[in-house]
Amino acid sequence: MTTTTADELLVDTARKVFIETCTFEVVEAAERDGWAAGVWEAVAGVGLPWVGVPEAVGGVGGTLADALAVLRLAGQHSAPIPLAETGLLAGWLLASAGLPVGQGPATVVPGSARDSLSLGGGRLTGTAFGVPWASAVERIVLLVEDGGRWKVGSIAAVDAEVERSLNLAGEPRDTITLDGVPVELAPTDVDAAAFERRGALTRVVLMAGALDAMSRLTLDYTAGREQFGRPVARFQLVQEHLVHCAQDAALVGIAADAASRAAVLGDASFEIAAAKALASRAATTATRAAHQAHGAMGMTREYALHHLSRRLWAWRSEFGDEHRWNNEVGTAAIAAGADELYPLVANGSDRRTRT
Amino acid sequence: MPLGFELVELTADERALQQEVREFLARELPRGSFEPGLGMDNPSDRGFSKRLAQRGWVGMAIPKRYGGHERGAVYRFIVVEELLRWGAPIHHHWTADRQSAQVILKFGTEEQKQRFIPAICAGELGFSIGLSEPDAGSDLAAIKTRAVKVDGGWQVNGTKVWTTGAHETDWFIMLCRTSDAEDRHDGLSQLLVDLHSPGVQINAIPFLDGGHHFNEVVLTDVFVPDDLLVGEEGRGWLQTGSELSFERGGPDRLLSPWLLVEEFLREHEGTPLGERATATLGWAVARFWGIRQLSIAVNRMIDQGRAPAAESALVKDMATRFEQDVIEAVRQLVEVSPSLESGSLFERLLARSVLAGPSYTIRGGTTEVLVGVVSKGLR
Repeated sequence: MTTTTADELLVDTARKVFIETCTFEVVEAAERDGWAAGVWEAVAGVGLPWVGVPEAVGGVGGTLADALAVLRLAGQHSAPIPLAETGLLAGWLLASAGLPVGQGPATVVPGSARDSLSLGGGRLTGTAFGVPWASAVERIVLLVEDGGRWKVGSIAAVDAEVERSLNLAGEPRDTITLDGVPVELAPTDVDAAAFERRGALTRVVLMAGALDAMSRLTLDYTAGREQFGRPVARFQLVQEHLVHCAQDAALVGIAADAASRAAVLGDASFEIAAAKALASRAATTATRAAHQAHGAMGMTREYALHHLSRRLWAWRSEFGDEHRWNNEVGTAAIAAGADELYPLVANGSDRRTRT
Repeated sequence: MPLGFELVELTADERALQQEVREFLARELPRGSFEPGLGMDNPSDRGFSKRLAQRGWVGMAIPKRYGGHERGAVYRFIVVEELLRWGAPIHHHWTADRQSAQVILKFGTEEQKQRFIPAICAGELGFSIGLSEPDAGSDLAAIKTRAVKVDGGWQVNGTKVWTTGAHETDWFIMLCRTSDAEDRHDGLSQLLVDLHSPGVQINAIPFLDGGHHFNEVVLTDVFVPDDLLVGEEGRGWLQTGSELSFERGGPDRLLSPWLLVEEFLREHEGTPLGERATATLGWAVARFWGIRQLSIAVNRMIDQGRAPAAESALVKDMATRFEQDVIEAVRQLVEVSPSLESGSLFERLLARSVLAGPSYTIRGGTTEVLVGVVSKGLR
């Protein structure tokens, strides 16, 4: 029987580390400096980046459910480190190809239409955009097609020329240029669609964490802020914002749970697509409600709302926005057909095999 | 505090049940053999309610000693979501099964339980809801219907409105004032009223499309015997609050426009849909999927003995606003002038949805009332 729930002790440990290290000042400083050494050392010190990566390739073991539960907390605390990238993406790709996972932080090439990487004679040449934390990691991992099959490639980050660039949240999303860089290559059963889904799953889980934190922050703020002689949370129109924000947090929270569970069990193509479509949409509606409820204070640098809202705006576009995933779900719906449409909603990806 | 919804994982038995209901419906009520309804807005069919009851699919969350099946709220969710999405004629037993039996079970006397619940579980006894009045809608505590103590019972005078199905059902549980109190939430009581009693006058309030769902129920010197008081005299307000958790958290608040989406797809099977329609379909399916998970989670809370008033209100508000969005989104995918007389089932469903849609965010608690209920839970 596959375990679909996370280890509680691990989750407690992770929560403590994030609470202790990801303070407002640290998240601000990370954005300014491009790296948060203190957060990374504390998180790496207890092995969190490599949870869910098999020990055989250099991970610390544990389940996918464990890794996703830790990532959710990272989203809640705006942890300014490549946690999703190091283990769930790079570590997963490397493990799928039997390649070793290194000691330091790692990232992946998400792959964009503008990328021009080409492989020849075991060397990579060209440019790739939007590579998370490329300026801070030790290893860059990518999925490449080579002779009609998919392979995982691994390069040392020092071999890449990195041009710094930032997403809306001030997280590094760099441009890398490679000029005949030697690459370690090994075949994998992961293809481009599976990689994109995996990326989308990490963003869904991060966003679920951020939405939960944003809902709580907005409730706290409106309970304390007084206007017209009473807390603004007492006004019906403000309450509507609070409810909409809580609804989005609840919806994406349970969608992330369902997508995570399906991913642990096997085919999660429908669940991840649906969850990312919901999360990306919620990023728009929930941040609008939260900002409106906060008034001008939410628009300032000194108040923490933007750590969450700017991340949600960035993550909603990464690994496919709501339009891209709505299309994917719609395509699955059309493939299922009218008779099987409700079973798709009620039973998901495995509707035929899991009954 | 944001509320905690836990993902419900269906057991193998629950999945088998799902399959059983699907096969039953395909066999007993094949597509094309009946005019499907939109979720719970569908015809009353006593015969069909009885056949469901014979399968054990009425009174599923009721103890066996009262003719139920002790299966709980999640089990019931699985069965009724299939019935609702199929558009099956479940109206006759719907309210009785969803909430009236639960109220009697929770607050009724042993004699009341023996008398009413087995008949509800058999699909025989239909109930309506006796809450709203001309001057008491969202402000329910403003009700004026009054029961005065007389020898052996109560004499009731007053008027209830928006009483769905009262012309077809048998009883309602009525909230009325039995005494005056400083706090107007005190002094209210719930009475079981036989809708065929002398002095009960049922007048149709035609729906905006001319259909007959709503009624005005006028009670003039109606005698209700003592043994039909539900629970404690003067505690009717609290009892009603508990009733509403059952009314709000279910799949009936999500699936009203389901068939519209399914029939849209059926009508277009074999023809390429184009990117906009594909994305719209995907948007709707993803949201049905996500909100369904929240709704089933509310039902798990009920099984755990919790009273998820705020959670069910949160889901009801989100689900019903989505229901309305679905109708508008689907309407914009087709170039038709919706008509109730159309030869196409899809177009008839679209016409009915457009006309009924505004009621989704009103019935069972308006959006505005729900926001207040959820906010209290979030504090």
